[in-house]
Amino acid sequence: MESLKIKDLCKTYIIHKRQNHVLRNVTMEITEGELVAVMGPSGSGKSTLLYTVSGMDYITAGKVDFFGRDISSLNARQMSELRLEEMGFIFQQMYMLKNLSIYDNIVLPAYQSKNGKTKEKRKEINDRAKELMHKLGISEIAEHDINEVSGGQLQRACICRSLINNPRMIFADEPTGALNQQNSREVMKELNRINKEGTTIMLVTHDMKVAAKSDRVLYIEDGNIKGQYLLCKYMEGEESREREKKLSNWLMEMGF
Amino acid sequence: MFFRILKKDLKRKKTMNVILLLFIILAAMFLSSSVDNLIAVNGAIDHFIEISKTPDFLSIALTDGKTDEIADFLQDNENVAEYEVINTFNLINEDITILNCQNMPGHTRYERTNTLCLETVPENFIKVFQMDDSALTLNSGEIAFPKAEADHNHLQVGDQVSIKIGETEQAFTIAAIVKDAVFGSTMMGFKRLLISAEDFAKFAAQEGLVHTQIYNIDYVDKEKFQDQWQSQNFMVISSLETKSTIRMCYIMDMLIAAILIVVSICLILLAFLVLRFTIVFTLQEDYKEIGIMKAIGIKDMGIKGLYLIKYLAISVVGAMIGFCLGFPFGTIILERAIVNIVVDKTEQNFVINFTCAAAVVFIVLLFCYLSTNKLKKISALQAIRSGSDGERYQAKNYLKLWKRPKMKPFFYMAVNDILSSLKRFGILFATFCLGTLLILLPLSAASTLKSDGIISSFSLSPSDVYLDTGKGETYTVDMERMFQDLEEIEARLKENGIIAKTGADMGYMLPCYTEDPKNSVTYYVLQAEGSWDRHYVLLSGEEPELSNEVMITELTAKEMGVGIGDSIHFATSEKTDEFIITGIYQSMMNMGQGYRVSRSAQLDRKYAAGIFCIQVEIEDMDSDEACEKMKEIFPEYKIMNSEGFLDNMIGGVIEQINTLTFFIVGIVLVINSLITILIMKTIMTKERGEIALLKSMGFTDGSLRAWQITRILLILTAAIIMGTILSKVLAPYTIGPIFAMMGATSMKLVMNSFEAYVLYPLLLFVVTGISSFICARGVRKVDLKEVNTIE
Repeated sequence: MESLKIKDLCKTYIIHKRQNHVLRNVTMEITEGELVAVMGPSGSGKSTLLYTVSGMDYITAGKVDFFGRDISSLNARQMSELRLEEMGFIFQQMYMLKNLSIYDNIVLPAYQSKNGKTKEKRKEINDRAKELMHKLGISEIAEHDINEVSGGQLQRACICRSLINNPRMIFADEPTGALNQQNSREVMKELNRINKEGTTIMLVTHDMKVAAKSDRVLYIEDGNIKGQYLLCKYMEGEESREREKKLSNWLMEMGF
Repeated sequence: MFFRILKKDLKRKKTMNVILLLFIILAAMFLSSSVDNLIAVNGAIDHFIEISKTPDFLSIALTDGKTDEIADFLQDNENVAEYEVINTFNLINEDITILNCQNMPGHTRYERTNTLCLETVPENFIKVFQMDDSALTLNSGEIAFPKAEADHNHLQVGDQVSIKIGETEQAFTIAAIVKDAVFGSTMMGFKRLLISAEDFAKFAAQEGLVHTQIYNIDYVDKEKFQDQWQSQNFMVISSLETKSTIRMCYIMDMLIAAILIVVSICLILLAFLVLRFTIVFTLQEDYKEIGIMKAIGIKDMGIKGLYLIKYLAISVVGAMIGFCLGFPFGTIILERAIVNIVVDKTEQNFVINFTCAAAVVFIVLLFCYLSTNKLKKISALQAIRSGSDGERYQAKNYLKLWKRPKMKPFFYMAVNDILSSLKRFGILFATFCLGTLLILLPLSAASTLKSDGIISSFSLSPSDVYLDTGKGETYTVDMERMFQDLEEIEARLKENGIIAKTGADMGYMLPCYTEDPKNSVTYYVLQAEGSWDRHYVLLSGEEPELSNEVMITELTAKEMGVGIGDSIHFATSEKTDEFIITGIYQSMMNMGQGYRVSRSAQLDRKYAAGIFCIQVEIEDMDSDEACEKMKEIFPEYKIMNSEGFLDNMIGGVIEQINTLTFFIVGIVLVINSLITILIMKTIMTKERGEIALLKSMGFTDGSLRAWQITRILLILTAAIIMGTILSKVLAPYTIGPIFAMMGATSMKLVMNSFEAYVLYPLLLFVVTGISSFICARGVRKVDLKEVNTIE
């Protein structure tokens, strides 16, 4: 089943009365359980594609089906519900609410969701949050303030937050862009693990090492998908050098 | 380059710059208008006294119009610089009939508020002014009403009344409502209607009428004149040192003016406080850019200059607009606040307003200079690294969401935000708290004046029914008539199966001294009459029982330097009686001056000055039922319960306080709304990133709005609680002295619980809630991509 089905997607910005076509008739599909990386040069429309297909930004034309629902037909409230209950977001910067502890930042969307209204449900949420934090190795920073932890820990906390409502799909905009190599590896390890547990992931990245751990790489240029490179599912502990090499060659062919 | 950066900055940070501009406009407007008003109000009474030509001394007496011993005394008196005798006619309710009342068609019955007389338009002393402060002239057939009388009877310019004195009756059209310096204040128990000399002559031509004479006197030497005057023991209804009395009588108007000044000062402080907040806030927003400018080598002075020029440009534009708006704003506030006094508006001038506007520009630049001073201390890297806050963020998350399993996330975030950023929301709290205080303090005064206990403060004993026969002054010349009326009322009630006792407190104007007769001062002395045996509230001591015992008000006791056990003397032209003081009481009658003697005391009836009302105490019937029955039995009299009586006695004062309260409530609501909108806009500008983040998580616009609104309403709740507590603490020190000035030296202040704890808080909630709701709608406009603006 397709998680995401995009047809003739266009996005145009008007700057100083001039039209700037960022996405031009993009058509693509992402299957449930897939981990898709989007690559391309700066200004090619990668992030715009991620934001428009996730309903974070309005589309100019075309159609985006999210698990069979046309997101352009949803009103603001329905879209919010969809984001809350079925989508998860990870940003390049580790955006968190400053006045809340790490733990409260993680549980906040769950408490806001339909399943977070009762005391019993909140207990379940707390258990899940603790489990997620344990899996991602950040249990010890739960009660810390956001300025008391490292970038890698913060990004893993952001991943926990994105997973707290058991989303069907995660959208990640350069999730390792602000991290060092060590932290970057750890974050990707977690994303692969989550993906293996069934969560579909679409991520935008500049980093070939990150993209090499995906199932499929889309190359976007001038608002169009210029090509795609299929990789087999990345297995934990698998040597990724070979995947990176093949991907690198393909990207060079694409002109990256 | 410099100006290009400036131009870009003004354009790009439009919201914050517009907010700043708005505050500068407000600050300039408040400052210029308030300073103007402060100057105008400060000299208002003196100005009114001067332009109305208020005499030094004034006395009112009844004569037969033939002999006038007071005029003889004043004639050729070396201590009198100038005097004038004004002939007037006393008017009772039956003398006036309303012919045409636009506000209440068909309404004919006239009800005077106080002792009322008819006289010609004054030309020499105590001149009156129309409501637009112009001089008054009347043609034949025209009449002018003081504001209190017109308001009480719902009359306005253009209405018609008929006046009958003796056998002569004439219809008049109301040509003007007037401000009267001496008799116009709500505290003065004497009012006058004015007609043309031609019309007055028609009434005066009749023989045998009793006249009320007003003597306006300017003396050469106050002390010598007073000695001479006291030694004469004239039979007068009232005598007063006019100028000092006026200052006391206009206490309510001046109270309003004082509160106006306090409100203005609060507004100025508030404006500057918020201004500083906005400047610091906007500068913090720019820290990253400041860091970049430093990094590329722009000198500190250059960066500082950039901001100084930017704020100079904004503040000059804002101050100019505020300067222009200050004129109409000041006039509106002054006119609404002070209706009974002619205020000197010539003081409102260009130079003051301009200076105030310039001061605002200077202060803005000073704030800017001081705020940018910090720039010198930080390096480029520090500025860039510390982001838009300009300081490393220190989290203070006092509450833990997961520990509050029942709390909704939006409510939690609102509470947590407030606790985490007390300083940021402090201005809002201070504004709301101040507003609550400004509402509750005058409300406390109004509630106290409307309370049941206030009757006792008028040196009366509360009764079931209060009755005005409209013949109060007639009883002074014919006291037997009063006794007959009291008996007749009881008899008619008995005929109707109602057992009642009646009583009246007759007032006498008696010269009084302690040791030296030369130092005698005329005081108002009360004596209970009638079959109703009643008692009075005392501060200390006991009620007088014997014929030579007296109780004295606290203020008079202080003035005379006497206490319980001391003796005083009442001197009349025929005899001097010594009285022993047995008790001290408080009274708001006659501004707290006076005595009360026992029923058995023998006072000279020639000095009688009138009664306030006849009181009826009825057996086995509640007050309202008794009033209803008595209205049927005595259609010719005005029948009142305690509330109606109070309204009659001090309705004007209560109305003034009510007007003041409404005025303040209006200002507070406007300020609350304005501050709410501006602070919310400012904070939301900074929170756009966080709002976008929450949106990206799936928070709906509704829950984000609830978060923003809850924050404001929580602060409002805390401020109302704090304001209420403060009002309780401050009322005895702010409202108490005002009652003390009016004579109630030990007044127990009360508060109308419904108004104080339900109505006004609800009003504040609704208006502030609506303002915050309007402002919170801005969350809709936050684009999810703005999540990138989070630092």
